[in-house]
Amino acid sequence: MKRVVERLLTPALLIAVACAAVAGAPQRAAVRAEDLLVSRAEIGRPGGQLVINQHAEPKTLNPVTAVDSVSGEVIKNTIADLIHVNRETQRAEPALAKAWTMSSDGRRYTVTLRQGLRFSDGDPFDADDVVFSFRVHLDEKAHSGQRDLLTIGGQPIAVRKIDQHTVQFDLAEPRAGAERLFDGVAILPRHLLERFHTEGRLADAWGLSTPAAQMAGLGPFRFKEYVPGERLVLERNPYYWKADRSGTRLPYLDRLVFMPVTSDDAQTMRFQSGEADIASKMTAASFDVLAKAGQAAPYKLVDLGAGLDYSFLFFNLNDLGSSKLPDTARKQGWFRQVAFRQAISLAIDREAIVRLVYRGHATPLWGHVPPGNKVWINRSIPQPARSLDRARQLLRAARFSSKPDGTLVDQRGDLVEFSIVTNAGNSERVQMATIIQDDLRQLGINVHVVTLELRALVDRLLKTHDYEACVLGLGNADGNPNTEMNVWLSSGATHLWSPEQSRPATPWEAEIDTLMRRQLTTLDPTARKRLYDKVQELVAQNLPFIFLVSPNVLVGADKGLGNFRPAVLDPHTLWNVEELFWRQKRSSGTP
Amino acid sequence: MSAASRQVRAWASLLVILNASVVFAGFIAPYAPNEQNRNLPFAGPTRLHFVETTGQFHLRPFVYLVVSTPGSVDKYEEDRSRRYPVRFLIRGARYTIAGFAADRHLFGVEEPAKVFLFGTDQFGRDVFSRLLVGAQISLVAGVLAAGLALSLGVALGALAGFYGGWTDDAVMRIAELFLALPWLYLLLAVRSVLPLHIDPARAFLLLVTVIGFVGWARPARLIRGMVLSAKRRDHVLAARAFGATDMYVLRRHVLPQTAGVVLTQLAVLVPRYILAEVTLSFFGLGVAEPVPSWGNMLAAVQRYDVLTSYWWMFLPGIALSPVFLLYYALANALHEHTALLSS
Amino acid sequence: MRYLSRRLAHGFLVLAGVSVLSFVFVALAPGEFLNEMRLDPRISPEMVAALRDRYGLDQPLPLKYLHWLQSVVRGELGFSFAYDRPVAALLWPRARNTLLLTVPATLAAWLIAVPIGAWSASQRGRWPDRVCAGTTTALLTVPELLLALGLLVVAVRTGYFPIGGMRSAAFAELREWAKVKDLAVHLFLPASALILVNLPVLIRHVRSSLIDVLAAPFIQGAHARGVPPRRLLFRDALRAASNPLISLLGLSIAGLLSTSLVVEAVMSWPGLGPLLLEAIAARDLHLVIGAVMCSTLFLLAGNLVADALLYLSDPRVRADQV
Repeated sequence: MKRVVERLLTPALLIAVACAAVAGAPQRAAVRAEDLLVSRAEIGRPGGQLVINQHAEPKTLNPVTAVDSVSGEVIKNTIADLIHVNRETQRAEPALAKAWTMSSDGRRYTVTLRQGLRFSDGDPFDADDVVFSFRVHLDEKAHSGQRDLLTIGGQPIAVRKIDQHTVQFDLAEPRAGAERLFDGVAILPRHLLERFHTEGRLADAWGLSTPAAQMAGLGPFRFKEYVPGERLVLERNPYYWKADRSGTRLPYLDRLVFMPVTSDDAQTMRFQSGEADIASKMTAASFDVLAKAGQAAPYKLVDLGAGLDYSFLFFNLNDLGSSKLPDTARKQGWFRQVAFRQAISLAIDREAIVRLVYRGHATPLWGHVPPGNKVWINRSIPQPARSLDRARQLLRAARFSSKPDGTLVDQRGDLVEFSIVTNAGNSERVQMATIIQDDLRQLGINVHVVTLELRALVDRLLKTHDYEACVLGLGNADGNPNTEMNVWLSSGATHLWSPEQSRPATPWEAEIDTLMRRQLTTLDPTARKRLYDKVQELVAQNLPFIFLVSPNVLVGADKGLGNFRPAVLDPHTLWNVEELFWRQKRSSGTP
Repeated sequence: MSAASRQVRAWASLLVILNASVVFAGFIAPYAPNEQNRNLPFAGPTRLHFVETTGQFHLRPFVYLVVSTPGSVDKYEEDRSRRYPVRFLIRGARYTIAGFAADRHLFGVEEPAKVFLFGTDQFGRDVFSRLLVGAQISLVAGVLAAGLALSLGVALGALAGFYGGWTDDAVMRIAELFLALPWLYLLLAVRSVLPLHIDPARAFLLLVTVIGFVGWARPARLIRGMVLSAKRRDHVLAARAFGATDMYVLRRHVLPQTAGVVLTQLAVLVPRYILAEVTLSFFGLGVAEPVPSWGNMLAAVQRYDVLTSYWWMFLPGIALSPVFLLYYALANALHEHTALLSS
Repeated sequence: MRYLSRRLAHGFLVLAGVSVLSFVFVALAPGEFLNEMRLDPRISPEMVAALRDRYGLDQPLPLKYLHWLQSVVRGELGFSFAYDRPVAALLWPRARNTLLLTVPATLAAWLIAVPIGAWSASQRGRWPDRVCAGTTTALLTVPELLLALGLLVVAVRTGYFPIGGMRSAAFAELREWAKVKDLAVHLFLPASALILVNLPVLIRHVRSSLIDVLAAPFIQGAHARGVPPRRLLFRDALRAASNPLISLLGLSIAGLLSTSLVVEAVMSWPGLGPLLLEAIAARDLHLVIGAVMCSTLFLLAGNLVADALLYLSDPRVRADQV
């Protein structure tokens, strides 16, 4: 048995907080002991509000059924999980769980809960809430976005209450890094949601029109009001279970105000003029415009370096049968050759993409783990420099030849020509395709760039397979290989170049399948890393994806904001929202 | 010959010259529109000099080599060590005019120097060359699409207004249907049955038909109102009493009354339709990179950073105004011409 | 009266036609609401299949339409996938905000366009007319998105106006008069953008229709009789030239819910714009069709008003109807 010690507690403190000292806390619980978690961040000042721009309106406040990222950005501040991945260190840490143990076979987790905690409506929290929450998340009919992650070896995790403050989790098979599965699994108030769940109406609960009194969570903030189209306001949760070193209960801020601002440019301008306090996921162009103000600006900008997103070019390697798309099927004769894909990769000017598309705020890539993912990256993946000569050599060896006017033809004399599709709404991808088009023109390959609307594009990629090549991007939510199983398994639905294969089409895909499945159940971290390193090597050698760049994470915040420590992992700026506080607010602030 | 018809001739011939020069875009443009200069993104317009650093004056304008300032993405300085005089009929990128290939350009400078009259875009492509070549598609597509929408609109609007009764009801209800429907979804559907790559010529035809086909309803309503009123005028009633056919009355007495509305619509619709191409490009139905069009060039400047940092990217927009003004002047002169004829 | 009931019946037909064809169009378009989810490696195909079932995406088209009709009867106008809520509840508050923007803007555009257009016509060929032609041409070449963006840049540079939005955060605490002022300050830029977009078209139509009339014998005659030019222009000539303008007014009314979508999205006005542009891309079927139905209502109303005005203003048209 391995004991995981609570990391954040400098001395493992058990503070009995005299509630009179904390503003807004309940009087009746004054004697009760609370297992508060003590934050080591700088001690701040309570008060004030933070205005945050969002690209769209939140759709729901229901942590179970929310699937869109905008609702997620709001909900994250109202919920808590048992074990949380620290966005700064990228490691799992105790949250509502005070500690946990893992059995030696890696299949049983025993979690000890903090005692004396309360939901944001003042109702006490205990093991029953945990068991209820997992029951909901695992219920097929509840459509929880977490259900797939909590299903291990085809079986849902079994959850059992041991006593009021201990819960036991049994996995059907050992799972490496299983504690990370608890990250983001919201613990729900049984007293408010059980009725909805038994009636099968969970999806109707906690919409935007629900009165605030009928909602509660364990996050640092709780719902206050929603004005359609204009704003959503969260207020401070007076029962939150973290405190600072001086004993002040977190969070410091009184309110979070989320405002829908559709356009990137309007978001930039609102941040520039102080109408928004914080900016996440800025575009490189916005970042540079804001940076022009230099040191005198009332805001601080941070380029956090490569994030976890990666963009790539890939070819249609689906088995197209014989009839439907004869032209694409003919071109697959080229696409299926590793030498052809390698030649394309060698011809792409990644440095130009970084400079022209991302204005220097991106990192070139040759493998699927970006440098932002410090734990998992395989640093021995070769990074061949752009070389048209070597690309031509490879093509010649694969029996392609050049006509006198420079155009490339295959061994049958057919012109090498294909189209790259990408989604029209993403200007960076369109620009990357434009650069690739010009790069490949120098090899004598005629490339057409075709922009399609995103959902129409997805139909072509995953349903009709009517495309030739595509520029797309993927992101890894927590940097862990397990969340990418569906990308690399040949049977996966997002195995984009040829999804949902009944059996692996190539030997290397078969090998990746084996390696990915083995790493899933390998508990030793170094052995697991070795397996994943091998996956990265195989991918880089066979290039089912031709990697382009990883955009840097660009964020900013008002200079007066204390404890602003942005992280590469999502949510980049609000992950430590409970610690944020106002040193001083710029005078031109929110009108 | 009246003053009005003299004006019509003047404007029309100017427009003919303009459209002709568009045909010779490849010759007038110093560079190929898709030629990327990756070390020169967002370079401002190249400065034409007459006086050297030594103070020596040259009648023939010259430029200096522009090099990027180290450590910056979009700042440049001139290398004044050597001057590159502007030359005429210089050899450069190959182009075709009406099927004939050539490589002489009206003007240019010796490599490695460049002359970018309107600066470059983010790939370092010459905005001036793109503007000229883009006109080949946009100008003609805009005029043709507006012509198509208007002829449909005039025909159907006149039909509705002239015959009235159930014809009027039917045509106007169909017009309402056309104005109300979510066309974007139909466009997506159309896109999905087309082949992935559409060559520029077909994309062009597609643009014209789509825009023209969807756009007839508004002008039709305007025309119908005019026809409703015009057909009851005394001289029209008189003509009918003398046994004039419907067709004759329509052509001779009713339609001239609508000339003002039609021509105004034309002058308004052409720029609107050129911009509409941007929306269509979003759904994969427009002109795709790297082929320039006024629509996709204007779309590229609709950004905060361009608005505040790269003013020359707006030169194409400013250059468009005189062109549209020409169209407007012609429409205006035509209007007066017909007004004189009918009164 | 008979005319009115006939028009109502026709309007009903148009609404039915629009709804059926909208369903067909959406069904023909590739891609569906859940497609973005399919690209998320963390979501399994089983989950997507379960959600398809929940939203009834697998149902045949006639059945989908029938379900929608039922919900229209209930007054819900369908059900939004993205918001998990009835469409009507989503549309009303935002439609109100949109009208708050478009009604004053359209009114102002007309109030500005008529005198300018008339004046330009009376100065035909002289420099005020030329300046007017140049300005309207320049405005026509500026895409509305760029116009809205440019106005926002002005707001950033001067600091006189808020960068989008409809109300200040502290709106609830303001006094009555301050509330009106706050709203007006927020309204100014988006309304200006809309006015500038609509102005060139209106001015040109006013001008061209007046030019026809000013050449007409009765105006020339009145002029010769010494009727004051201003009265002649704004009373007699404008009335005689009203026919195309009335049709245009009908189109203005028809566009009240739909002209401002882009401006709203750029300027964060909490109207239908941001909601709809997202819903269209997301294939949130019922939300889009609900909005289409609402704007069809405005279209029908606008055309009805235009026809009624044509009927009232022009004896020649009156003779033809009924």
